[in-house]
Amino acid sequence: MTDAVTESTSPPDAGTADVPWSRLSHRTIWVDLAQTLLALSPTALAVGVFGVDPTLDALWPLLGVAVVGVLGAVSNVLRWIFTRYRITPEYVERRSGVFVRRYRSVRRDRIRSVDITARLRHRVAGLRVVLVGAGQQLVSGESALRLDAVVKADAEALRRELLATSEVAAVSAEEVADDGDGAAADGAADGGAAAGAAGTGHTEVLARFRPWWVVYNVVSVWMFFSAAGLLWGAYWLVRTFGYDPMPWVGDLLDPDVRGLPASVAIAVLLTGAIGAVVMAVNFFTVNWGYELARVPGQKTTQLRTRHGLFTTREVNRDERRLRGVYLSEPLLWRWMGMADTQVITTGLSAFSPSQPAAILPRGPVSVARPVAAAVLGADPDPLGAPLARHPRGALRRRLWWATWVAAVVTVTLGWLSFNDILPATLIWCGAGVWLVGLVLAVAAYRALGHAVVDDYLVVRSGATSRATVVLRRDSVSTIALRESILQRRLGLRSVTAMTAAGWGAYQAPDIGREDALAFAVEAAPGLLDPFVERVPASPGQPLGGD
Amino acid sequence: MDPDDDLTDSSGDAPTLLRLRPPTNPVDPRALRWWRLRALCSAGLVTAVLGVTTWLWEPGRPWLAVPLVAAALWTVARVTFEPRIRYAVHRWETTDQGIYGLSGWVVREWRAAPLSRVQTVDAVRGPLEQALGLATLRVTTASSSGAVNIVGLDKDLAAELAERLTVITEQIPGDAT
Repeated sequence: MTDAVTESTSPPDAGTADVPWSRLSHRTIWVDLAQTLLALSPTALAVGVFGVDPTLDALWPLLGVAVVGVLGAVSNVLRWIFTRYRITPEYVERRSGVFVRRYRSVRRDRIRSVDITARLRHRVAGLRVVLVGAGQQLVSGESALRLDAVVKADAEALRRELLATSEVAAVSAEEVADDGDGAAADGAADGGAAAGAAGTGHTEVLARFRPWWVVYNVVSVWMFFSAAGLLWGAYWLVRTFGYDPMPWVGDLLDPDVRGLPASVAIAVLLTGAIGAVVMAVNFFTVNWGYELARVPGQKTTQLRTRHGLFTTREVNRDERRLRGVYLSEPLLWRWMGMADTQVITTGLSAFSPSQPAAILPRGPVSVARPVAAAVLGADPDPLGAPLARHPRGALRRRLWWATWVAAVVTVTLGWLSFNDILPATLIWCGAGVWLVGLVLAVAAYRALGHAVVDDYLVVRSGATSRATVVLRRDSVSTIALRESILQRRLGLRSVTAMTAAGWGAYQAPDIGREDALAFAVEAAPGLLDPFVERVPASPGQPLGGD
Repeated sequence: MDPDDDLTDSSGDAPTLLRLRPPTNPVDPRALRWWRLRALCSAGLVTAVLGVTTWLWEPGRPWLAVPLVAAALWTVARVTFEPRIRYAVHRWETTDQGIYGLSGWVVREWRAAPLSRVQTVDAVRGPLEQALGLATLRVTTASSSGAVNIVGLDKDLAAELAERLTVITEQIPGDAT
């Protein structure tokens, strides 16, 4: 198998020497110049306007900003000078590197995604960053090839050329912008027709941004982290300008004045509120103008998402590489129907922090389900199918595990307090752990379910977050049945379907022993047939591979 | 579709049940020694380090007693029981369509992969395996977690199997995703 991406220090033979090399857009230079001025301005402002003493002690946070900004701009200019790219009939090639010359090429038939993104500074200058993905497991979700940056029109042309989408698609994409809001609901409603739209040259919008989704995105643990980051940054900034807010904060939270519980409550509520505002602002800036659409092309259709207020991001996913969808619903927010929606597809890293597999922002499950169904375009809808419940043994196994963990915690705490390291009252934490464990065990049991619907297998599981996976049966490459000693006693087996897409492995835990085999046989059509035999049923006979 | 439909076959006189038969071939008897040595090198080493620390560092003894006893018991279990259970459990089989392995001791696992999805076939040999003349047959698919490993094979058999499976997989078109 030839590598899709090759990297070397020199270009190969000049077989395609006739194709000229192009530079990245010269506008990046102006952007870098602006960035330099911007990076220097806080220092200039502090010294020139506010009269802060120009000592290293007082100015180091601002100087840090200035140094990082200027160095970034200078290295960007150097990168622009030394980078060239070209597109030959077979390859996309890029030469780069200031001191070490690097040459990278991506085979065009291996290109699986072409994403266009832009930060605010790019958008001001009409630039776009093009990320070419070849489905390779490179270092930490890195794109196969990155062009930073080209003019917007060039980026669009590159994407069209590399993905071989037709002119029709581009035209209809423009038209859709004028369409009413009804298109989203229509698209979501008739999932069966969705697949039929492929090749007809009409862009179909499956979902659009709804501002009220913000309520699903403000409350999470991250709000405390973002609030802490913001407060820390603000603290250093006002310190630099000669104001120390510490006494004021000390007054507000003085435990002697208000009592400890009130102080803690004020601190938590204040940071929580600040964090919620930060999260809301973040949600709007990231997801503004969200649109999920099915865009037809010559060979295949693309699932396209576009979003972003300042930094825009467009991701195109080849539908030929789509293997299923993944819906997860966090337990704590089940009452408000919160869900994350992702596609299971090859060539997109599920581990990437930018989450290219997410096709919807975190939002209501009442939207997520129809959209996921429309993306699958399967009839009958696998997400709507009733799932087979798992035997009571699965509940017993979870209760056993919860009890075991609580017992270990209690014994450890007991031993530590026996040795006078911890106060004896902490042993009661063990009881708390047990209670939480039992609740999670029941929740995890109730989440269990599996089914085979037409061409798809459906598995559902998870304690703190219930994940529903719909996976195409013909994409299953390895099937595994697992049985631990406890599972053996309870008559259970777990079935894992492995695939090249998404997380790589999806498990249906704790199915009854005979049902597990039947499910495994159906999940990977034909794979287990040579290894399965039919035996006359007689009571007491051990089943399975004993 | 209800999975129960396939479970009982109503066409015959007596109802029949599906049964996953074990793969046909056992592993090489030298694997017993390999598993024993492997247990000594991992669990045994931890026990030895803990034991020496307990012996030399007197104030730490109340802390190290419980981990030392646990590590010692674990080592005994892995040296005496694990190899025997594994030798009884581990089996493998290859056909022209797929590869099928059964492995494990505390947790048993049946794993099957079709050769049409196989990406690489290798005979891998670690230092202990080299000393014993053994090899592991490693068959990887496009799934990052979908590899089928068959441990404790004779090195010549593993090399021959790797060659045969590679020839078969090369004849199957497609990019195996």
